[in-house]
This record gives sequence, structure tokens and C-alpha cells, in this order.
Amino acid sequence: MATTTLDDPRPGAVRSHSPLRAIFGSWEFGLIVFMVALYLIGVWANPRFFGSADALLSILRDASRFGVIAVGMTFVIVNKDLDLSVGSTVALTSSVFSLMFAPQFNDMGPWVSMLIALGVGLGIGLTNGILVTYLRVPAFIATLTMLFMGRGLVLGLTKGRNIAYTEKAEQHLLFTIGDTNALGFSNQILVMVVIALIGGVILAKTRWGYETYATGGNATAANYAGINTHFVRIRGFLFSSFCAFLAGMMVVGQSKGVTSQDGFGAELIVIASVIVGGASILGGRGRVIGSVLGAILVVLIDKVLREGIPTTRIVKIGGEDIVVQAMAQMPPGAVPAFLGMILIAAVLIEPWVVRRRLIARIVARLRGLPPPLVNADGVAIATTGTHGSSLAASEVHATGLRKLLTYREVAAVSFMILLWLAGFILRPDFWAGLDNTFNLLLAFTEIGLMAVGMAYVIGNGDIDLSVGAILALSGATAAFMMKKMGADPATAAVTAFALGTFAGMINGFLATKARLPAFVATLGMFYMARGFAAWFVAGRQLSQFPESYNLIGRKVIETLRFYGIEPTPGTFWFNLFNAISAQTLVLFVLAIVFGVILWRTPFGYMVKATGGNRRAADYAGINTDRVRFLSLTFSGMCASLAGLVNIAFFRSFTPQAGVLRELDVIASVIIGGGSIFGGYGSVVGALAGAAVITLVRALLSLQVITSDGRSFVMPQNWVNVWIGSILILAVLSDIWLRQEKLLLRLRMRLRGKQTESAS
Amino acid sequence: MTNQTPIIEMRGINKSFGAIRALQAVDFHLMPGEILGLVGDNSAGKSTLMKVLSGAYQRDTGDIRVAGEDVHFKSPHESRDRGIEMIYQDFALCGNIDVASNMFLGRWPRKGIFIDRKKMEDDADRVLKRLKVDVNSVRQRVESLSGGRQQSVAIARAISFDPKVIILDEPTANLSVMATNRLLETMAELKAQGVAQIIISHRLQDIFEVGDRVTVLKRGRIVGERYIKDTTEDEVLGLIVQGDRLEATAEA
Repeated sequence: MATTTLDDPRPGAVRSHSPLRAIFGSWEFGLIVFMVALYLIGVWANPRFFGSADALLSILRDASRFGVIAVGMTFVIVNKDLDLSVGSTVALTSSVFSLMFAPQFNDMGPWVSMLIALGVGLGIGLTNGILVTYLRVPAFIATLTMLFMGRGLVLGLTKGRNIAYTEKAEQHLLFTIGDTNALGFSNQILVMVVIALIGGVILAKTRWGYETYATGGNATAANYAGINTHFVRIRGFLFSSFCAFLAGMMVVGQSKGVTSQDGFGAELIVIASVIVGGASILGGRGRVIGSVLGAILVVLIDKVLREGIPTTRIVKIGGEDIVVQAMAQMPPGAVPAFLGMILIAAVLIEPWVVRRRLIARIVARLRGLPPPLVNADGVAIATTGTHGSSLAASEVHATGLRKLLTYREVAAVSFMILLWLAGFILRPDFWAGLDNTFNLLLAFTEIGLMAVGMAYVIGNGDIDLSVGAILALSGATAAFMMKKMGADPATAAVTAFALGTFAGMINGFLATKARLPAFVATLGMFYMARGFAAWFVAGRQLSQFPESYNLIGRKVIETLRFYGIEPTPGTFWFNLFNAISAQTLVLFVLAIVFGVILWRTPFGYMVKATGGNRRAADYAGINTDRVRFLSLTFSGMCASLAGLVNIAFFRSFTPQAGVLRELDVIASVIIGGGSIFGGYGSVVGALAGAAVITLVRALLSLQVITSDGRSFVMPQNWVNVWIGSILILAVLSDIWLRQEKLLLRLRMRLRGKQTESAS
Repeated sequence: MTNQTPIIEMRGINKSFGAIRALQAVDFHLMPGEILGLVGDNSAGKSTLMKVLSGAYQRDTGDIRVAGEDVHFKSPHESRDRGIEMIYQDFALCGNIDVASNMFLGRWPRKGIFIDRKKMEDDADRVLKRLKVDVNSVRQRVESLSGGRQQSVAIARAISFDPKVIILDEPTANLSVMATNRLLETMAELKAQGVAQIIISHRLQDIFEVGDRVTVLKRGRIVGERYIKDTTEDEVLGLIVQGDRLEATAEA
């Protein structure tokens, strides 16, 4: 069998018999060639920066932290998992270390502080691993939640302040990890090389590595062969967290202090690096050396983008003009937008270029030879199980109250009522008042709008991680059009809506035609959309839109007043229009129309069939690609609508708009009865779930007045931790209470009946 | 044959899934070096019985003896340790891994902390030669092999640890005629080497070609047992379809 020039990275693969060809034909060699070319472009564009040896060393130094994390991430990705929490782990471990070590806080010794930080890091890895294996939470949900909770913890612990301890640090050996050594390069590079060697040998040569490839390739087969795949995957997450902890120590070592922004977005760079390095997002393929080279390449791309355009700036100091070699300032947001694109591109390379032998086919075409055999589909056999439980026999025959309890939406509605009552008990003077109700409704509208779209996406068995970012993109576009381009409100709104919808279509295209898992496609969009949003508004807040635009976010009565058709005060219509806002009306109409579509039309049934068992739905003639494409597009539409409403309500756009909203929205749909594995979802449930989340958020920021007259507010830095916990709890109870019927089985066991797990 | 200890003996096996009684008081035995065909309609309980035997499922009641010794397997690899190998219908291979590593999946030979590739590849090569399987190289990825070759790898894996019993679950379902014939030859050869085999199959002609005995399951019960040399395909077919009734009239 002919070997191609681009061979997959994997152990013991058949390569060309000549060792020379094996080296030059490898994916890693391609990476190196590409890197050299890119560096030469950098030298050509900006010789002052790239021409010096320092530049090379600084690129390597900056890459080394990502390289170290990439080593751990390779194990996770080969295992067919994903760890989005590494950036947070870097921040959390370095913050915990700093809090322990800093003289102004606990003033502990460096090694004790490091051990505590290591404990925290491994705790995150263990939590991720147990959630993903024994508790069966999808890896991207578990680790995304850990990402946000980790960030919340960092803010809560450090209260958002920077911590520095330059003097104390200089007395301790530990901090040389981040310093330049006698040979003139940073010790961080050394750390990366050592970790890469150890990780590379473990993955390629030892039992642990072989177990990793087997688990990622076919977990069932590995299980039959007696490999404890749960343990293998937990080990992967522990590796990943350990490497993130090391990177945290490198950060601390270099800057002798910590900021709450450390490690921000590192997960994106690292995942992109591992995939660029030749690993497959679908598991079973990848090599440590490739991942490390990938990290260097991604950092190099970033540097070329930043430094490639040399600029000089003239600064006046004391009346004298001084020419300063300024760093070309990339517009804020351009870097995450670009990294998001790299991630998507990298993920597409593996299935479309490597697996389909694109290059070999082009070469064959050019030479006029027959194209090589394409072996795009592996032996991995998809399961034919059905997701999203239908009613069990006992539920069909239930009557009265029991019948009510069989509806999956009941939990959300009961929670909603309980939470509202809790608020009423805590603050009877304020909670039920018109002001609070109006505010609750407004907060509810934003989550609710996106939850309607998400109900479709989750019903399909997909996920949309980009809704918060699309909200920001749409808001930024409308703000930018009105303020910078002088467009009229209608044009601005239509353009923004179209752009947000287009983002949804890209998600849909990537998830269907390009065959990417939806979480990867929308994760890329998450960074891209937010990056572009920040780019459009140059990281600033834009406000003072034409008042006719802001009407979308006002009470209906103000719209009528604007057009001069206001009813007389005191009449029924006046009171009605004074009580509801335009956006609530929008949500109401949207929810009814799309609620009915999902509930009782053929399209709604197609959505649930697709999520329940996509293969069966395909066989039955349902165009599942079309259904999923439309759902993801619709979710983008809903998010952009929410963005339009958001800036109208606040009368301004801030780059913070919609941050963390994806968590709120996904949690809403799951609480409202949607299944994380697809196959079920209803708009009523999603809206009830959105109400629950709104109420939780309101309660968390509620000023509670205690009996002795003092007031108490939860520190707002901790809110993310709570919201994250709620999402995990919702997913866990979906999996274990709804799908696995844990309570029912427990009751049966207590009665002494023999029961069997559904699996 | 009667004075020999069965290599596998199952007595009074019961197994329920909720309200469904998948196996009811099943008695089953397999003699050393015997090829037994296990047949029955869909949902007759063939796969369940074999999964109970291999430890993938836990029985509710009943005894299992391997070579006269009481056993209670909690997972498939415990039964592997006792010399019972199962070849799954979908082969249970990792496509992303090479042939040799797949054959020693989970039991890779080691030299210190490293995998001993040379020993593994040599052993794999030897077993494949013994089976007369022609794969280019044991370093080839399994997903680049055809369905028949993949199955050869699965069989090679099963025999590379000198098992006493091999269970084949629908082995010919995904194979071409040529590959099927080669598989039947392999089975006869294994029998000559003293390996007992259980073959679950819908294709009676395969069982009649290599089998010694056939056991028929229907709705979780054994409804008949025949020696191949004393029966015909039609009779077995009758048992599969009519089961209890035929048995009842025969007894009367």
C-alpha cells in the first residue's frame, strides 16, 4: 500500500520503509517547514523585531507555557475528551499560590504554597474526570462550567486585584523557573522540553499511552479488553490539570505576581495547538511532539500578526520629539477572533486534508496518476441507542397528580414558583413590587429569547456555545452602524440581525456539511463573534443611539407615545401598554410561534427524532443535516435578536454584553426538561428554565435585610461559581434522575425487587 | 463423551431485565474440543446467555462451572483469564491502532515500563501465520483492513492467549462468501487443536458444515438439542420456529 506524504500521527503506523522519508513525510516536519516560512515572512516584514535572536527566544518563551499545557491536553484529546478549564486552572493555581505566598496575605513558604496550589489543580482535574466518566456529563459541558467557575473563584479569592511580591520572590529558588538562565534563554523553555519529552515517551511507548489510544479509538473494545477506561480518562484530566498547574507556576515565576487575567483564553490556544499538531478532535490520534510544535506555531502566528506591521510613534517628552518603536497595536478582539478561526481551520484539517488525503490526491491529479484510495470512515461503529427518554409504561398509565409529574417541564415550573416565593419571604417589601417585577421580566427576556433557539438546538442533540458571543456581535454591529457609519436604526438593526443569523448559518454549516461536532464549531464561533464584536467597537462602550432605535427596549407605551398614538392615561389600554415592554412582546410572539412549531408540527417532530437517534431519522428519510442546520441558524437568529434588544434597553453597547449567557441559556433548557444528549426539548420548559435562572440570579444579588436591621449582599464575584454549580446540577439530574431513573431504581431496590440498569 | 467433564456447564440460569424474563432455567453444556451451534429467533436469548457466561451480564440465579469449577465472572476480562474468549459481532477493535497492538489490546507485553514492540510484533506475526491470515504488516492500522481481515485480527486476538473456549457472535454476518469459507476452515483447524467453540448464527448451513451439536433457544428457554449427525436443517428450523409445541408432541 502506498504511503502518502502526509501520514497520520499515531503509534506504529505503516510509514515508508525509508527512515529519511519517514521523517520528511511526517506531519510534524510539515509544521516545521511552515514555521520557518512564517518566521521568514516575519523577518521580511519587520526585520527590526524578528531579525534578532531575542525575538526567537521570546517566542519560544511565550510558547512554552502553552506547550506545557498542550502536552497534558494531548492525552485528553486522544482520549476523545476535551478540557476547556485549563486557562482557569492556570489562573486559579497561580492565584492560590500567590495568596499563600504573598507576604501581604498568608506569607507561607514557597514549597508549601506550591503544594497547596498543586492540590487545587489536581482537585480540578479529578472533578472534571469524575464528572465526565462516572457521572457521564459531556466533557465540554463539565469543563466549560469549570472554566467559568474557576474564573469566578479567582475573582472571588483575589477580589479582582493584582498581587505582587517581587522582593520576597527574589529570595527563593522556585522563581528561577520563569527567569532567563546563564545560557541566555528562559528556563521556561527548558521546562517545556522536559515535560514534552516525558509526556511524549509516556504516550508513545508505555502502557499508559497505549491505553489512551485504545480508549480514544474504541472505548467499548478497550473495556472488553479489560482496560478501565474511566480510570484512563480521569488520568488524562489529571495530566491536563497538572500541566496547567505547571504553567501557572511558570506565570508566577516570570512575573513574580499574578493578575486575575492570567491564563485567559489559554484553552483556545492550547486546543488549537493540539489540533494543529495533528490530533483528531474525534479522539484516538495525536502525538505530543506535534502538539508542542503546534503551540509554537500558534504563538508564532500570533506574534507575526502583532509585530508584522512595524510602526513608529512620535512621543513628546519635555517638548522634545522622541521616536518610539511602538508595538503595532492589534485592535482589541482581533486576536481571539483570529484564534477562533485557527481553531476551526485546524479542526477541519484532520478530516478533510489528512484523512481524505487531499494533498496526495492533488499530487496524483497533477501527475495524471489515479488518485490514492480514500479511507475516510474508520471502523468505529456508532451505537444505535436512542437518546431522550420517552414515557415509561408506568407513566402512560398515571392519572391525576402523578400524570402531571410525568411532564418533564414540571420541575422547572415548581422551581420557578419556589424561588419566587423565596424572594418574597426574604424581601416582602420589595420583591412583588412593580419595579422588581419589571426588572425580572427584562432580565428574563434576554435569557428567554436565546433559550427558545437553544431548545431546538439541544433537542437536535447539538449544542450552541456561541449564543452569548452572537448577542454581543449583533449588538456591536448595530451600535457600530448607527454611531460610526451613520446608518438609520432600521438599516442597522437589519444588518446586525443578518450578521448574527449568518454566524448561526456558519455554525450550522460547520456542524453539518463539514461534519464538526457542534460544540467545536460553536466554540470557534464563541471566540470569533466575541472577538469581532470587540473589534467593531474598538473595545469601548458605544452609546447615544437614535431614540427611535431604543424603543425596542422600552415599554410599549413609549413606542406609542413616540408615534403619537398613545391612549389616554387611566384607560385599560394605557395600563396594559405601560406594564409590558416591547421586548417582552417580542419574546411572547416568538415563544408562541416556535413553541407550537416544536410541539406539534412535523418540523418539531423531526427535531426530536434527529436528536433521539440521528441514524434512524436518516433512514426514515428525514434530512437531519437540514434540520440541524436550520436549528443552529435559528439559534443564531434568536441570539442576534437578543443583542438588538440588549443595546436598545441599555441605550449602549458594552463589550461585556452577553458574557456567560451561554451558561444561563444552556442551563435554562436543561432545567426545563431538555436532554443534554438530545431528543427532547420544549419551549415552555426552556422558558420556565429561563425564569428559574433569572430568579436565581436576582436572588443571588438580592439585598437581604436580617432581623437585626443589617443588610447583606452576596459578593458578586461569587455569582459565577453558583451559576456554574447550577448548570452542573441540572445536567446531573437530567442524566441521573430523568434518564437513568435513579430514584425509581432506588425505590425498587428498597422494595426488594430485582432491577437492572438500562444499559 | 459422558464420562468427560464439560469445559462449560451452566445450570438453572435465570436472568430478567425488569419485567422481561430473558432466560428461564437454562441448562447448557459444552464439551472440550466441541463446536456447538447456538441458534434461535431474534430475542430468543442467545446473546444474553453468552454475555452471562462471559461476565458482561450478571445472572440472577443459577450456577456456572468452568472445567468443573464454580465461577462468578464480574466482567469479560475475568472470563478471559479463565480461557474463555468472545469474538464480538462488531469485532471490538480500535481502528486507530495497528494490528499487533490490537491483538494484545490491554495485555501488551512490556519491557520495564515500555511496551515491548518487538516481542509483540513477532508474536502477532506468528499467530497470524498460524491462521494463514495475510495482512501486509502487523504495523498496519486496523481501519485500513477489509471486513474479513478485521475479523481475522479479532480471531487472532482470541487465539493468541491459548483459550479453551471461543464464543463467536454472528461471525459470518458481515463477511463475503470467500471470507466465510476461510472462517469455517479456521474453526475446523482450531477444533483440531482442541479448542471448544460456541457459534451464534442465523445461518444454519454454516453450523451444519462445522458443528458437532446444536442447541435451540426460544423465548429464553432451551427447546431442543440435537447432534448434527442425527438431524437435518429442516428439523432444527422447525425447532426454532415452533419450539415448545414440537418438543411437547415428541415427548408425548
